[in-house]
Amino acid sequence: MKYLQNPFGYERILKKDDLGSGKKQKGARAADWKYTLKRIWQVVDEQRSLLVLVFMMVLVSSVLSLTGPFLVGRIIDHYVVPGEYDGMINLILVLIVVYCILSISLFLQNYWMIGIAQATIYRMRTGVFAKLMHLPVTYFDKRQHGELMSRATNDIETLSSTLNSAFIQVVSSVLTLTGTVLVMLYLSPLLTVLTMIIIPLMFMAMRWITRRTGRLFKEQQAAIGALNGMIEETISGQRIVKAFSQEQQVIEEFEEKSGRLRTVGFWALSYSGYIPKVMNALNNMSFAIVAGIGGLLALNGYVTIGTIVIFTEYARQFTRPLNDLANQFNTVLSAIAGAERVFAILDEPAEEDKGVRDIKLQGAVTFRQVYFKYNPEAEKDTLSDINFAIQPGQTVALVGPTGAGKTTIMQLLARFYDVRSGTVEFDGRNVQTIARETLRSQMAFVLQDPFLFEASVFDNIRYGKLDATDDEIIEAAKKANAHDFIMKLPEGYKTVLSADGGEISQGQKQLLSIARALVADPVVLLLDEATSSIDTVTEMKIQEALEVLMEGRTSFVIAHRLNTVRNADVVLVMQQGQLVESGMQEELIARGGIYASMLRAGKDIDALLDR
Amino acid sequence: MRAVFSYVKPYRWPAIIALMLMFVELFVELAQPLIIAKIIDEGILPSDGTAIWLWGIVMLFLSFLALGAGITNSYFSSHVAQSFGFDLRNALFRKIQSFTMATYLRFPTSSLITRLTSDITQVQNVLFMSLRIMLRAPLVVIGSIIMALLVNAKMAIFLLLGVPFLLVFLIIMVKKGITYFSVVQARLDRVNRVLQESLQAIRLVKAYMRGQYEASRFQKVASNLQVDTVKALRIMELIMPVLLVVMNLCLLLALWFGSAEVRSGNAQVGDLVAVVNYAMRMTGAFSMFAFIIIAFARAKASAERMEDILLIEEGTEDRAGIKEIEENQIGTIAFHNVTFRYPGTNVDVLSDVSFSVSQGQKLAIMGATGAGKSTLLSLIPRFYDVTAGEVYVNGRNVASWDLDILRGMIGFVPQQSMLFTGSIVNNVSWGKQNAALEEVQAAAAQAQIHSAVESFPDAYETKVGQKGVNLSGGQKQRLSIARALIRKSHILILDDSTSALDVKTEAALWDALAEEETTMLVVTQKVRTARDADRILLLDEGRVVGFGTHEELLSGSELYKKIAASQQEVE
Repeated sequence: MKYLQNPFGYERILKKDDLGSGKKQKGARAADWKYTLKRIWQVVDEQRSLLVLVFMMVLVSSVLSLTGPFLVGRIIDHYVVPGEYDGMINLILVLIVVYCILSISLFLQNYWMIGIAQATIYRMRTGVFAKLMHLPVTYFDKRQHGELMSRATNDIETLSSTLNSAFIQVVSSVLTLTGTVLVMLYLSPLLTVLTMIIIPLMFMAMRWITRRTGRLFKEQQAAIGALNGMIEETISGQRIVKAFSQEQQVIEEFEEKSGRLRTVGFWALSYSGYIPKVMNALNNMSFAIVAGIGGLLALNGYVTIGTIVIFTEYARQFTRPLNDLANQFNTVLSAIAGAERVFAILDEPAEEDKGVRDIKLQGAVTFRQVYFKYNPEAEKDTLSDINFAIQPGQTVALVGPTGAGKTTIMQLLARFYDVRSGTVEFDGRNVQTIARETLRSQMAFVLQDPFLFEASVFDNIRYGKLDATDDEIIEAAKKANAHDFIMKLPEGYKTVLSADGGEISQGQKQLLSIARALVADPVVLLLDEATSSIDTVTEMKIQEALEVLMEGRTSFVIAHRLNTVRNADVVLVMQQGQLVESGMQEELIARGGIYASMLRAGKDIDALLDR
Repeated sequence: MRAVFSYVKPYRWPAIIALMLMFVELFVELAQPLIIAKIIDEGILPSDGTAIWLWGIVMLFLSFLALGAGITNSYFSSHVAQSFGFDLRNALFRKIQSFTMATYLRFPTSSLITRLTSDITQVQNVLFMSLRIMLRAPLVVIGSIIMALLVNAKMAIFLLLGVPFLLVFLIIMVKKGITYFSVVQARLDRVNRVLQESLQAIRLVKAYMRGQYEASRFQKVASNLQVDTVKALRIMELIMPVLLVVMNLCLLLALWFGSAEVRSGNAQVGDLVAVVNYAMRMTGAFSMFAFIIIAFARAKASAERMEDILLIEEGTEDRAGIKEIEENQIGTIAFHNVTFRYPGTNVDVLSDVSFSVSQGQKLAIMGATGAGKSTLLSLIPRFYDVTAGEVYVNGRNVASWDLDILRGMIGFVPQQSMLFTGSIVNNVSWGKQNAALEEVQAAAAQAQIHSAVESFPDAYETKVGQKGVNLSGGQKQRLSIARALIRKSHILILDDSTSALDVKTEAALWDALAEEETTMLVVTQKVRTARDADRILLLDEGRVVGFGTHEELLSGSELYKKIAASQQEVE
């Protein structure tokens, strides 16, 4: 018994109480997948004219596939058996036409359906992607890339294979079913009713099975997603895996996730495998019922033997489309499991982009009593009571120990996050009243972790301003001191950079992202450790370019080498989420406070090491 | 295909049982017409009610037998399919883990992901179906042909007329299918790639408001995938109509010439009816048959993609090598005339580099951006093999060391912090499995991150997002240092990994590290850090242009002077 509960040692996934006997829950679940199905249908339905064509072709092929055997029967009955051959050739010619049209209609229905299905898939896939690009940053903070990727690939693929066949199958099954039932009723209403006995049984069986598979399919897609997430992260971080010889550990973790997928997959496949088997058995039973009871009826003369013979054949015809329908229902369930995960993303609230547009920023920035924390449940604020005002065109240095909240200030400036209380203002306007598009299109960033796309150097720099000419790009690269090394690349500016290739160093990546910001020609410039991996000699050269760039623009600069911020107009000293000192550079030095001591500390350490 | 399907082998018994069970079902299905005949012959005609009951019950019993067989088959075949998929997936992943860094350059992550998920699913599905339903269709086709031949070979031969044509057609279609479907899978790779890239760059995308632009970039790859999928599927959809039309025409031929036979008295009408019946059964099985062929082509395409990886011989790390560490040269590193270029490129990144570091020494490596500093470091744990020359660790050529032993001697802190999804404890103890919490805390304290971690609401159990998104740059760097320190290794490599630290924290970190007796290789931009080192190695465009102490270089090297000058605190 124990073995039966855990065949081949697979852990049981569905527990009794999981399936829920409460009616309310059941109702909710049914509504769930009906709703999902409806949404898929809405996308499919956008190509209604093609869909109508497919429907017509299915109609044609269903009729013709019945006509063929009928005509063959006629040939035998009317010509071969009586030995009359005149006119047979005509029927054969008709048959040739019928068969050709049958094949053509079969081909066309599939041809169009594939078009419809894949267009649907395309729409959903690009829809998911577009949605992802417009979700707030917080959405990505706790999610693995690979898991999200799985939704636009693996989940949508299950939907794809279903859409290719389900519609045609369902329509043609329903058509044949109706036709057969009509003929059966005509032949013997009594036996028809007997055959129908299995239908309630069938519904019960289907219900029992799909209640399980529906859940299991969902779990299966989730397991694939988890696996995808792990694969993506591990392979992206392969260097660390190797450096720490953690291959075995990683493999074990993979096998655990992979094993989970196997277990869930086992149950999903097993249960969904029941469907054709149960259908077959019910089919056989109806066969037995028709034959047995029909036989008894025949004894009493209610039906003829011929009727029984024909009827058993029709009973078979009757159950086959039912069987197909049941199978389709199952694949549809697996598709729904995938689709639900896709819709989950589509239903996420996007970063709304309301607010004023078409305003030109002057570059004045004010923080008024700004409080902020990333995690709403955290006790401590990441930033508390931040107040400062910056004039247009000023260069602002953010200094302080790591984790003091410098990058957070930058994130709030760009409105990646919204403040908990207080306001961030641009030219006296609350940042929340300005459209993000308008705000960010007048800003340029160099982020802490420079990122390059798998694209040419040209395109990577052009990311800052999509309509920049090649000359503008080269100009920016020269200013960023990137031109020389770019020219040494195999194809200069046209070299396609590979994502994890070794041809570009971290420092060079930073140079390229500075060039990217330069080409953007912003009103407000944000430099977050923009030169941390660049050697100081090169840095000095860029410094001049940056200074030229910062002229007339409001700039915020984070740097640990205080040298790089010595030309700042305003210095904001951060400590543990608080602004502990702020003012003009000279003022602060003269005041002899924290900033001055930081400058001194740099030198003290130098002196210390100089001994 | 063979290499992939060899993974079915361990499950051949369950597979055979599944097939046997399928035959039981088939048997029941075939027995039914026979029993109906019995009911008519023994029951209805002689008016024997008990015989009808008897055979009716036999029939019911057989249905239950078939149901039992079918359901058991369901378990066996999903066991085989899932275990096969599981083993194959694990074998692929193992293989991928054994890749050298150079091999990773050949296979983008996105493509490896597709192979480990989508491609496996394709192959697994085909296996599952073939154990359950697929074999029936070919059996029906072959059985019908044999039966037709037995009934009347002369008539049935017409049915075979189309076979040579169909065979050629099918072979061509399968070949085409394989090509088209591997294109489809490759398109899926691209979709994965753009997805991955845009997710990694999400902040950049937002910073420059490039959501629309990224979406249109994605639309391009998604539409390529769509077009090629449609193309592949549409071509494959030709199979069934062509099969049908050819078979039906053969049927008409058989009918035409058969009727002539009947007319001339060489054959019975019954024979003709039987042959036509068998032909119709065959065509009935064709839609399944076409489906099998499509699935097979698709699986074959996916299997080939997996074999690309499974059968790689070169480009994997071999784990054989010397395991014993001799005591006398622990923690020494030497480069002898090392030249290196990345595989597939033609520019030397390092040329003729020689230097040595003795036990417990601290070597600082400096040089301009792109001078080859990180590359030099990556040769020590043997991420890449040198193009010429030798690298020695502990007195032995790195090529002769067992890789686990070699890398076990090294604590590596990369330039980009690279943390993984999981808790802080998980991330730090990544360097040493099963480390006690005290060890984790000690390493964190040494890396100057302990108090910061303690201030988090969940302290060491705080969850870190992928690549440590929810931590500040300096926190990530220090966790990454703690991860290396916990190993207490002979050699510590820090690749400019303190760039995001403020002066005070950094000084405290170096102080803490000074207690360690490990050999240290430190890439740095800061003269202040370098000055503290025993030796400084100065690189320029992949060549050594200076090697000595701070004072030596200050007096001897123009480049070093320039660097030092650039860092003079401006008054």
